[in-house]
Amino acid sequence: MTKENKSYTQLAVEDFRLTKEPYYLEINDEVSLFEAAYNNHIPVLLKGPTGVGKTRFIEHMTWRLQNSVGDAPSDGVPLITVACHEDLTASDLVGRYLLEGDETRWIDGPITRATKAGAICYLDEVVEARKDTTVLIHPLTDYRRLLPVEKRGELLEAADGFLLVMSYNPGYQSALKDLKHSTRQRFISIDFGYPDRDQEAAIIEVESGATPEYSRDLAKLAEKVRNLKEHGLGEGVSTRLLVYAGKLMVAGISPRRACQVSVVWALTDDMEVQRSIEEVVTSIFDE
Amino acid sequence: MPESYVDRLVARYEEQLQGFGASLPEEFKKSALLLDGVLGESELDQWAETGIRLAGQSLRAWEAATEYFRATPVIHATIGFQGIIAWAQLAANIAEKSSLVAASFIKFTPSVLEYLTLDDLEEWSLQGDRLFRGNWKSGTLSAAYFEHTPALLKFLPLASIEKLVSIIDALTERSYELASTCLESATRIFGELESSDREPFLGFARAVTRASWADTRLYFERGPSLITSISPEHRADFLDLSAKVTSEVGRQAFPLFADAAESLGQLSEDTHAEHILFASNIAIGSPTAAMEYLKIVPFVSNRLTSEQLRRWSAVGEEILTVENNAEGAEAFFRLESTRAENSLQELSSRIELASINTLLRMYAKALTGEQVGIYSVEELVDQNIGWVQESVATTEGSSIYLPPFVATFDEQEANFQSYKVFATHQTGRIEFGSFRYKWNQPGIYTGSTILEREESAQSRREVSADSDEVSPSSALTAMQRYFNVFDERILISGIFTVVEDTRVDAYVSREYGGIRKWLRQLQAHEGNRRPRVENMPLRAAFVENLLRTSLGRPETMRWPTVYREFLESGLAALKIVEQDDATVQDSAEAAAAIFDIAQRIPNVTPAMSDGKFDFDSPSEDMLSIQPAMPSGDGPPLDMQSNDQEIEFENPPQPEFRGDFKPELVQLLARLKQQQEGQVDGEGAPLTKEQLKELLENSVEITIAEWAEGDLDESLGMFLENLEQAATPSGEGKSDDDSKGSDESSGGQGDGEEQELPMEIDWSYYDEWDFRASDYRPRWTRVGQRFHEAEEEPEFYEETLRRHHGLVMETRKQFEMMRPEVFKKIKRVEDGDELDVDLAIEFYIDKKAGIGPTGKVYNKRNKMERDVAVAFLLDMSASTDEEIEKQRQSNSNDDDEDDFDGDPRKYFQWLAARRASQMIEPPKRIIDLEKESAVLIVEALEAIGDSYGIYGFSGYGRDNVEFHIIKDLEEPMGPLVQRRIGKIEPIRSTRMGPAIRHTIHKLNEYDAKVKILIMVSDGRPQDHGYGKDRTEKEYAVHDTKQALLEAKRDGITPFLITVDKEGHDYLQQMCDDIGYEVVDDIESLPRRLPTLYRHLAVE
Repeated sequence: MTKENKSYTQLAVEDFRLTKEPYYLEINDEVSLFEAAYNNHIPVLLKGPTGVGKTRFIEHMTWRLQNSVGDAPSDGVPLITVACHEDLTASDLVGRYLLEGDETRWIDGPITRATKAGAICYLDEVVEARKDTTVLIHPLTDYRRLLPVEKRGELLEAADGFLLVMSYNPGYQSALKDLKHSTRQRFISIDFGYPDRDQEAAIIEVESGATPEYSRDLAKLAEKVRNLKEHGLGEGVSTRLLVYAGKLMVAGISPRRACQVSVVWALTDDMEVQRSIEEVVTSIFDE
Repeated sequence: MPESYVDRLVARYEEQLQGFGASLPEEFKKSALLLDGVLGESELDQWAETGIRLAGQSLRAWEAATEYFRATPVIHATIGFQGIIAWAQLAANIAEKSSLVAASFIKFTPSVLEYLTLDDLEEWSLQGDRLFRGNWKSGTLSAAYFEHTPALLKFLPLASIEKLVSIIDALTERSYELASTCLESATRIFGELESSDREPFLGFARAVTRASWADTRLYFERGPSLITSISPEHRADFLDLSAKVTSEVGRQAFPLFADAAESLGQLSEDTHAEHILFASNIAIGSPTAAMEYLKIVPFVSNRLTSEQLRRWSAVGEEILTVENNAEGAEAFFRLESTRAENSLQELSSRIELASINTLLRMYAKALTGEQVGIYSVEELVDQNIGWVQESVATTEGSSIYLPPFVATFDEQEANFQSYKVFATHQTGRIEFGSFRYKWNQPGIYTGSTILEREESAQSRREVSADSDEVSPSSALTAMQRYFNVFDERILISGIFTVVEDTRVDAYVSREYGGIRKWLRQLQAHEGNRRPRVENMPLRAAFVENLLRTSLGRPETMRWPTVYREFLESGLAALKIVEQDDATVQDSAEAAAAIFDIAQRIPNVTPAMSDGKFDFDSPSEDMLSIQPAMPSGDGPPLDMQSNDQEIEFENPPQPEFRGDFKPELVQLLARLKQQQEGQVDGEGAPLTKEQLKELLENSVEITIAEWAEGDLDESLGMFLENLEQAATPSGEGKSDDDSKGSDESSGGQGDGEEQELPMEIDWSYYDEWDFRASDYRPRWTRVGQRFHEAEEEPEFYEETLRRHHGLVMETRKQFEMMRPEVFKKIKRVEDGDELDVDLAIEFYIDKKAGIGPTGKVYNKRNKMERDVAVAFLLDMSASTDEEIEKQRQSNSNDDDEDDFDGDPRKYFQWLAARRASQMIEPPKRIIDLEKESAVLIVEALEAIGDSYGIYGFSGYGRDNVEFHIIKDLEEPMGPLVQRRIGKIEPIRSTRMGPAIRHTIHKLNEYDAKVKILIMVSDGRPQDHGYGKDRTEKEYAVHDTKQALLEAKRDGITPFLITVDKEGHDYLQQMCDDIGYEVVDDIESLPRRLPTLYRHLAVE
């Protein structure tokens, strides 16, 4: 199904493989936990605030599995990611009939394709999706490993390498956007917190190429800004933003400016909070 | 000896002179003898004749004549005989009206002639004459005038005295008493005044008398001292200006003058010229503005440099001259306009803590990760728990206290950065653990020697049998135990402070590269202000030198080269804590080591040591010293002093580091723990005795500060304060807004029945001054409180019962409005789902050749109803009015005829009416408001919209009452029902602030559609809501502005009034804002839900 063009490559999702190891710094024991879960067909829930590396982690794990870990198929494990949103319906996941010529044609949704291909199906920000979608995945996540395709009256048995992974950000917890227990209790849960200062500095350094001093200062800034959580800030600054800031610095933007655009303004629109963070920035960086 | 002509003359007239007072012939004789040979014979005759004529003019004219005879010999020398005749004529003219006045005129002529010529005498006599109105009082006044003139003439020329006369003359029309007081005090006043000021003083006095006569006395009393504070060269200008102003503003003039003069007195004299000139310029456009300017100048110039002040006043001047808005300029210079405040803030380099409080709080929170409060250091001082300096930053471990403002530098930025450095140093103490000293723990670079030190101190003390000393185990905190080890607590406390601050500063500059520059700048600033080492005794100099090094200014050290090793080892110890990761334990060890060194240095001055040493600049080696722990004990400094040592005093702390009181902070933390019930392993609860012991020994509090009276008593109070400060947040320390809660009385009776305490939450709002076209900043104070509740929801239930039909009907109508949460929309061209049925239809149509419709998708739409509405009920006193009466007063009683003049019919009607009123008391407007509230509550509960019900009233701009009957997020319940029952008329109607507060509440609330409905019974009015009581414009404009603000914030305002005359002002007030005048008052309860439906649905 590969189409080649001069400027782009078009691939079916299940055919895509990572060619380079995505950088990931293990904070606790999440790597071994995940491997154990994968080998035992235990679905995984990744919990943590935005930008701490949940997605990166899953990519990293896919790459590790593909490179000879566990009982993954020799041609590697595909990763199919679905970014969930509030209008995501069950049929978006499973598949739908489309009109084609004089007839209807069935198109598999991502979850169906993952089940067939034995891929890791990663539902990002799963609480955003509608409730009916979460129920859909229940039979897939227990011993049955089955996906009912209602519209076609079929049952799909998941291929061996298939694993369902979801991510979930407990930060914006409202009664509306919480996982149901029946869903929750089908997953083991790996908690992603912010890395500590040294680890974060290391990550920033690798990811952005910024100097060790700047990386350390950025990590320090992150620590300080995260202190403001629940005080004008919904969520602390993510490692991702810090990496952006580091990249901008490498590109020659002054550290204060880099932090302003990638940390201060990215975090909040509240002028007062902005100013406070900016003062922290100017305390740490001298230009 | 032949009889002289004079003797004959006397003999000739003696008889005629009999019958007048006894003194007359005597004086005549005496003067005649004196004039003998001076005057010719005929002249003598004429002289005598004139006198006798004078004496005969009226009953008591002999007194005048006596004076005449007495005065003539004296004045003859100056004015000659012709002069005397002319003068006597003047006297005679006066005597015709009053001999008393004439006597006074004559009597004081000799003294007056020292200053006046003969020609002036007529003018003088006329002035006195002018005051005489033919009655006794005016006669006395006039006489007094002549009497005071000689003295006055010392200071004023006759022409100026004329002005004084006209002032006094004007006053006589009001009060003779006042006039004579002024006259009497005039000499003293003009004597006190500088000669150049006298004329202008009179000029202004005249103006004051014309504008506001009663103030003349005040002016005469206070004026001279008031103007002495003004630069002498410009007093005249200032008085001229004041006079001009007075003629324009009338009665307000004197207070304006007095305030302006006092203000000028606060300024340095060389600036007076400029301010008075500026004021004179704007006085042309607005005299009041000119005086207001002078009044505000001291306040503003405390915040601005003179150049900035010029720019600031130029803004005000522009309002006056360019915009031609005198009222605006007045408000500007009164600082009652937003523009004035903003422009002041922009220009000022001074930073107020209040303006950056939130910012710093978040900053401190970010840095420390703890909930750190930022307060003005004044508040800490007020708590009276040992901190007494109002101008330096400090922390008590959980909050940071900063000076109320910083104006050290000319640049705003630099002052702000100073604040930041202050705050960072204080957060540094928290962040880097200055208060986390633990007993006998090693540091990173040092071991712990404190235990050995304690033991040796112990044995030393035992030897000296100093029973007063405390046993170490009784120490309440580690810090206290540490300090207890050392014999000289002042010294160790000073050294520990220097060392620990050095460590914190080192940390701050390592961790916060961005502040380093400003920290250095402040350090340099402080370094330049240090007291001279050369004036210090040696031990103090030692500590001072360490401090200078820690400020990054080692080159400013001064130390005797002969004793260099002492300072060198001290410096080396200090350097230990500048290294990475040094802890407070390191500081404690280093401080102890430095203490040892310091103890070996006698506290003497060079003079006392017979010139054994001198202070020298540091050597190169000393500047580049490496960290090292001093090695043990050494011999004391070799010096025989011939005097007693000077008692040691710590050099002053640099301002930016502020107060450091680790012992108290640890104690507070301990108290806090105890109150929170977490008594840790360290032992039992603290006893008062223990606390007392700590406080008595601690050098962190100066006993003198609080022990003026009974020591035990003040100690007890102090302990109470401490305990209160340690109380978990909220109770001990008042939050910014709740300060006024003691004023909660506000006409509320028994508050005991309430679930919620009567807490008033104050907020400040601007008010619109339409004349100045500007807001008056923070002009009104709105006190929000929960409304009192009835014991039982009687009213609510009663209303439901009485109107149950209406309630049902409204509820049904509202239920019909209830929307679906999701709505499936079928047949759209694009959507979430393909409708297979429609798709098949599409194909059939297509095949059949019928134009198919492509709408084969379904779409699900969220239709959430998201409305928040706030009802604002007028609880002014006028709502107490009975509707019946209002109706009568409105509708000229046209039933009168119905009785056909038959009194029986009338009485029947009256009896019937009374009976009906007995059963059902007459309804008041407020009752209808309450009923409407009940209905709307019922209706809204059916529909599920968020709603709040608030009442407002109050009196004056400082006390706008805002009663919460139901808050937006509050659930409906019996409490709300009971509150509705208690809605009662209170006082005035200041609508603007009430609307603004409601806007604020709606803004805080998250909803798509926001509505504000105000129900009132009349126009806005309140004390001070307008120029005077009758003015309506101001209130109407402010209310309109508040409504516009609501619109600007995306809130739909709507006004309902039951005032039939409402149309006129509502039209003006509402422009394009919806309003309704409910003609039939009683239909209000029915009308309100209907209106709501229109507003909220469309």
